[in-house]
Amino acid sequence: MAERKERDEEARDLLAAQFALGTLDLAERREAERLAAAEPAFAALVEQWQERLAPLAEGYEPVPPPVAAKSAIEARLFGAPQAATGFWHSLAFWRPFALAASLLLVVSLGINLYRWETPGQGGSLVVSLQSVEASPVNFVALYRPDSGAMRLSPVSGEAGIGKDFELWLIEGDTAPVSLGVLPKSGVAEISLPPALADRFHAGTALAISLEPEGGSPTGVATGPVVALGKANPI
Amino acid sequence: MAPAPDEIGELIAHTALGDRRAFSRLYDRTSAKLFGVCLRILRERMQAEDALQEIYVKVWRNAATFSTGRASGMTWLISIARNQSIDMLRARIPQGEAIDAVTELADERPDPERAAASAQTGARIDACLDELKPERADAVRSAYVEGYSYNELAERHSVPLNTMKTWIRRGLLSLRDCLERP
Repeated sequence: MAERKERDEEARDLLAAQFALGTLDLAERREAERLAAAEPAFAALVEQWQERLAPLAEGYEPVPPPVAAKSAIEARLFGAPQAATGFWHSLAFWRPFALAASLLLVVSLGINLYRWETPGQGGSLVVSLQSVEASPVNFVALYRPDSGAMRLSPVSGEAGIGKDFELWLIEGDTAPVSLGVLPKSGVAEISLPPALADRFHAGTALAISLEPEGGSPTGVATGPVVALGKANPI
Repeated sequence: MAPAPDEIGELIAHTALGDRRAFSRLYDRTSAKLFGVCLRILRERMQAEDALQEIYVKVWRNAATFSTGRASGMTWLISIARNQSIDMLRARIPQGEAIDAVTELADERPDPERAAASAQTGARIDACLDELKPERADAVRSAYVEGYSYNELAERHSVPLNTMKTWIRRGLLSLRDCLERP
């Protein structure tokens, strides 16, 4: 038994080693990545191997990329190219633009989400969940009170390995109620039970906290709140 | 000369908080090295530029998964760069094809990584690789630096695929044991 366990461990370490070295084919690489995402112990083996092999990276000669590459990356991530120096770079200067950009995004997403509605159903609420304390997490939500259906769309930010985002509803001064763990990626479709639907109106807040995988073990948020916003009629 | 690893790790940690200035500095410090990785593995400038963009988008989005104290910042970045480049390479070359072209290119290169790796940080791993048979050490080294698959390595060394797999696996285990020796 013990011998077999040892053999299995050796096989896992070898898989991690070959993944870090880069010799696996595409399908095996995906399998190793899936394993690393699911099992922190395997991810740690991969990291150990990356560290062991790291000195071989001395073999890579630095080559400056084309100047345009940087602005292309920033435009893709932040929407607007940034100038190189001085006050153009300051956060205070950019904040209103970032806010305007995210409002634009909400408006355009809002329009897209609006199309999701069938004609004649009014009273929908939109919530722009803005990042808290410079977290990279932004979401936008649309709620239809008549059906209790909510759609939550990620704008930016990921929970990361071994973590999940959990969504909370906060009405006035009442305690936050969990609306569940969000999917790792893509749009979340959430159906609110009638008791909760009654509490969702203009001014009700939605918050996202970062929790251990599977959500808060205690029923109250245990991790930091990474995004927050209040419902507004559209 | 690569910047101090802790400095890079700190820039990644700030990037994780959404600090664009830190991200910009991180790019300025590290993009030449990472572009070097993309070019070496992909051997095609346009694809290397595409890879570089994907890499820094991943760095921005996944910065929060980097935890200082485990891997060094530069190692984390190079792992992302190598993974991205190798994925693109594997997706591009159907296994078994285009190996001639790769071999030709590879043969033009003398062996700069051997000289470079002997310097400073590489000394330990170099000594450990020296304990392997030279052709096996070469296979491990070129697998890492060039991103060769087992098929390509077997072709280059003119050995059957399974022999190459055995070389690499045994090589990696010997390397591990050697590096962990006090």
